[in-house]
Amino acid sequence: MTALAAIRVRLGRLLREDGLSFFGLIMLVLLVLLGLVGPYLPIGDPTRIGAGPRLSPPSWVFPFGTDELGRSYLPRVVEGIRATFLLSVVAVVITAVIGTMLGMLAGYFRGFSDHLVARGADILFAFPAIIVGLLVAAVVGPGQISAIAVISIATIPLFIRVVRSVTLGVSGRGFVTAAEVAGASSGRVMLVHILPNITGAVVVQLTYAMSIGIIIESALSYLGLGVQPPQASLGSLLREGSAYLTIAPWLVLSAGAVLSVAIMSVNLVGDAVRDGLEPLKGRLLT
Amino acid sequence: MRLIAYLLPRIAAALITILGVSVLVFLALRLIPGGYADILLGPFVTPEARATIAERYGLDQPVVLQYFHWLVSLLQGDFGVSMVTRKPVLDEFLRRAPVTIELAMIALVVALSFGLPLGIASGTAGRSRGGVARFIGAIGASVPDVVLGSVLIFVFSVWSLWLRVGGYVPFSEDPVGNLRVMLLPGLTLSVFGVALVLRTTRDAVMRVMTEGYITAAVARGERPRDIIRLHVLRNASIPVVTVVTTYFGFLLSGAVVVEVLFSIPGIGLYTFSGLLNRDYAIVQAGVLLAAVVFITINMLADVLYAAIDPRVGAGAKR
Repeated sequence: MTALAAIRVRLGRLLREDGLSFFGLIMLVLLVLLGLVGPYLPIGDPTRIGAGPRLSPPSWVFPFGTDELGRSYLPRVVEGIRATFLLSVVAVVITAVIGTMLGMLAGYFRGFSDHLVARGADILFAFPAIIVGLLVAAVVGPGQISAIAVISIATIPLFIRVVRSVTLGVSGRGFVTAAEVAGASSGRVMLVHILPNITGAVVVQLTYAMSIGIIIESALSYLGLGVQPPQASLGSLLREGSAYLTIAPWLVLSAGAVLSVAIMSVNLVGDAVRDGLEPLKGRLLT
Repeated sequence: MRLIAYLLPRIAAALITILGVSVLVFLALRLIPGGYADILLGPFVTPEARATIAERYGLDQPVVLQYFHWLVSLLQGDFGVSMVTRKPVLDEFLRRAPVTIELAMIALVVALSFGLPLGIASGTAGRSRGGVARFIGAIGASVPDVVLGSVLIFVFSVWSLWLRVGGYVPFSEDPVGNLRVMLLPGLTLSVFGVALVLRTTRDAVMRVMTEGYITAAVARGERPRDIIRLHVLRNASIPVVTVVTTYFGFLLSGAVVVEVLFSIPGIGLYTFSGLLNRDYAIVQAGVLLAAVVFITINMLADVLYAAIDPRVGAGAKR
């Protein structure tokens, strides 16, 4: 009950102080819910061919219109939300686990392991995401696995750098030295004493990685290197719709609008989390 | 001298990074199912032909030796031969590079000329959550290239409005016609840049504004214009330089999506078509060149840091 009350107080403050982020949070929750319960909603079957006329504009029966096979587009977009979020979340969780581990190792032990991890991060950072997508697609073939791999490769270097620099700051503090003097093992120091103190930075970085992940997923699927048909993601829907851009613009516009709202809501929530952890004060020049 | 002492370890690190990149790319290409002989000769390959190819390209040697062979030929400017056109890949990349550079320059100029002033204005406005600028930043960072580009193509293919979609002409043949084609993809790429520069500038400026020397300058009664020009800009510029150089590096290494979307024949489109044709020498060279360009740009950023902040070269920690 108290936890619920605390959340309500926080949400109320967010609404009053930062309406834009509050809107982002609402949109994000709605999108995630939509993705989760999408298959059970009475909006039609995403795979039924000839549910309506081909390429018909939005109407009451088909709110997002129909595609070139007469499939209703709304359930397809909902399915796309599900795939896009799922792929990005899986990739970002992988990034978070590996990135936090390596970043903490580098920041806590310094020395050789630090050099090794930092150089490794530099090497990965030098590959632009989509170019690495081309390479991975060449090696393992296009598909969900390669999309997840590309998103992780693209988001991990920055993650490692952030975690490393925060860990450097925390490991110099008194309570870490105290734990070491008391004889705590390195693993215990990292898990019990350092990890809780860097969670804030990790969470903020997580939201940014998530938004980059959604952008990369959509770009890859648009190029045909991500989710393969008949499965739909927001990016692959853009790819299918772009062939009919001039005669059936609602296909690209509806998928594109949902995709943009998804990225924006993740960004806004990230901003709010960051503002809560380290508020930027600023001042007026008068 | 101090600058050299500051730059040398960075050059060394960059070289190590490039070496690491080359190992990764080399290994990745070895992992492609079927291997080089199958790619080169297609699915109906006889064992004899495979052996000939293996011998000609040194595929029967140990992997480490193969890698060094490859590295030496890279250093001699031999990035392999396109299997489709039978021409050296490097020449094809150099021929297309100006197109991508022009695109990157357009995007960079637009991003800076909107992002910097808006960011400074919003950072000095004093409120902790700048209204309009934050809104622009949130939208700009959220609309992906694909979506924005598609919307622009739709709008400008219905109402032409002077700008053109597709039908690339080289700058040397028809400068005006070239700009008419390049502006839309350039703008598409720039929107993310505007948001990025705006947000970074705003955050950096707001951080500097709470420093003691700004309070001191206000107390001395300096004009706000002078405070911003003399105290704020230089001190806020390091994070902005970092973000802008990274952004420029990504632009130069090939904006694949935008080049594909607008059929702009730059290196991004070339690398992508190399993948579609299973012409892996192109993909390999594309990845390598992109990484080298990116690392070089980051080196330039290090030089810029030292030029902006004299403390950087003097052994003080950044």
